[in-house]
Amino acid sequence: MAEVLFLGLSLASILLLVALGLAITYGAMGVINMAHGELVMIGAYTTVWSQLYLGLNFFMSIPVAFVLTAALGYAIERLVVRRLYGRLIDTLLATWGVAIVIQQAVRVEFGLAFFGIHVKGLGPGLQNVPVPRILREVVMIGDFVIQPYRTFIILFTLVLLVATWFVIYRTSFGTQLRAVSRNRSMAACCGIDDKRINSLTFALGSGLAGMAGVMLAGLKTTFPSMGTPLVIDGFLVVVVGGVGSLLGTVAGAGILGELQALVATYWNDIIARAVVFGTVILIIIARPQGLFSHRGR
Amino acid sequence: MKLSRVFFQNGAYVLFIAVILILPLFLDDFWLNRISKYLVFGMLGIAICLAWGYAGILNLGQGLFFAFGAYMLAMSLKLASATSLMQGSDEPIPDFMLWTAEPDSPVALCCINKGSFLWIPFLNQWFGVTMGIVMPTLIAFGLGYAMFRSRVTGVYVAIITLALCLLFRLLVIDAQPFINGFNGLTDLGWFVAMGIEFDPYMKKTYFLVAILLSLVLIGAKWLVGSKVGLILQAIRDDEERVRHLGYDVAKYKLFFYCISAAVAGLAGMLYVIAAEFASPTFMNIEFSILMVVWAAVGGRHSLLGACLGAILLNVIGATVSETDVLVEAWQLIIGGIFIFVVLVMPRGLAGLTQDGCDWLLRRFNNRGKALAPVSADTARKRSTNV
Repeated sequence: MAEVLFLGLSLASILLLVALGLAITYGAMGVINMAHGELVMIGAYTTVWSQLYLGLNFFMSIPVAFVLTAALGYAIERLVVRRLYGRLIDTLLATWGVAIVIQQAVRVEFGLAFFGIHVKGLGPGLQNVPVPRILREVVMIGDFVIQPYRTFIILFTLVLLVATWFVIYRTSFGTQLRAVSRNRSMAACCGIDDKRINSLTFALGSGLAGMAGVMLAGLKTTFPSMGTPLVIDGFLVVVVGGVGSLLGTVAGAGILGELQALVATYWNDIIARAVVFGTVILIIIARPQGLFSHRGR
Repeated sequence: MKLSRVFFQNGAYVLFIAVILILPLFLDDFWLNRISKYLVFGMLGIAICLAWGYAGILNLGQGLFFAFGAYMLAMSLKLASATSLMQGSDEPIPDFMLWTAEPDSPVALCCINKGSFLWIPFLNQWFGVTMGIVMPTLIAFGLGYAMFRSRVTGVYVAIITLALCLLFRLLVIDAQPFINGFNGLTDLGWFVAMGIEFDPYMKKTYFLVAILLSLVLIGAKWLVGSKVGLILQAIRDDEERVRHLGYDVAKYKLFFYCISAAVAGLAGMLYVIAAEFASPTFMNIEFSILMVVWAAVGGRHSLLGACLGAILLNVIGATVSETDVLVEAWQLIIGGIFIFVVLVMPRGLAGLTQDGCDWLLRRFNNRGKALAPVSADTARKRSTNV
């Protein structure tokens, strides 16, 4: 049973990693960023590149991925998302377009493939990232097997969670962010530069996606279309937890992760995913505002 | 003579139908088969437009209804295929059921595996056809009832429909012995109606698709112009207001959601006739979102626009894909086009055409008059200011 719970915790931490960024962009800004999965993918590729070209080790690629994807997210906000505030559904569609463009850009090696130039670490194929040795050796405590990499992901997710909480609830940027998310025009009236806050928020959410990508690069293979299922899972978590509630996102990830682990252990993986989807549908129909939603005024 | 916008609009519909009906004169059978698949996608464009453009229900799981239509007919056609008849039994048995059957199970549709008895009614092809419409409509009814009664709107609808579509996709993939899981249903027989065998590479199949598309298009146009359609558009624009006027909003939305599902189911069946397979990939997220892309590029508020958007994007895509290098580039361009359309012309190609027509109309109708032309925008502003 402990192993099932650990597996669930591990699945939940991965869900939460992806959903944290979404909780910020969607929860706080109300932007449905379908390109979030592609930002995760870019994060994963950054790990590949920084090992191939910069000779950086696994841990060092985390900040690199954060900076790169945050910059990319900043650009996406300035070029696309900014023009669509107030058109919620249209942001969903436009960012889907962005997602396709990013995915294809990696697949055609930023256009170089058209000229017959092939770059290592790009293109439609699979990439593999070796995990540092300390994170590979299995530790046994009695009968209980501790997989170090999965444990590391859980711990890293906790660190990111605390950091995100700190940024949102304990810094002046976070206060401004929350003000903008509650009432944009009122916040602007109080002298908050809402456009700047939006760009930075989007960059922060994207940066979190990038770091999630690094973690996933060590866990799974990296390929151009890896992001699509991730973004769907992320949205399910955020919506189940309740938009605009960090606590809700954590709870959502926990519930869905453990549920999937339980069903997968006693039935099979495919049915486990199906049960998760079914549960999400029931929760949204019963409580469209999510499990934990802040009371609107 | 004073020309009006309605004249152009109706003209466009007539022209479209005329073009798809005379197309077989100019194309070889290979292209005709391709185009008939794209016409099916055009029908999906109409289904999306009905739900999204007119009812404001963004359905990111339309692929579910399409797949259900496809699978229902494919089950019948699978039983009608030559391979199913040659499995050493006096009734047809789908070949994959034998591959996964337990050693001592009887070779009969009733009991070769746990779910196989459900295939028995599909021995009658018309049962498959009926189910292809009924099942999507029923699912849409159940889901829509739950959603619209509890006033789930906007993005939540999108997420629920998407989740349901993925749910069914997993169920199909998991049901290997029952419906051949990930591989889908292939090697199907031909659809036979009124003594005609619909070989997918013959003109009659094309005509079947083209005529049904025309009927769906005309029907949908009539429906959105009717009183129900007008109320629905009012709901899309301001749901609360219509509710306060005393209309049962959920009922209207549910009605159109079901119609949209039925059209998608019909499209699924036609696709099976033209493409000869049904597969769980129909329920991939990418496919469902792609349908929305077609409708958005063509024009989400225009039935004909959404339909043409689907057909044109696919025709261009197919032409471009002849060259290997351009396959990936085309995807890149589609993404770019999509961002552009959403940002710059949210009404899509149809909106662009409409603006062009309006401009022409003003030129035409104001000929020789000293009156300054009133632009559509100012006219709209005036009417809303009143």
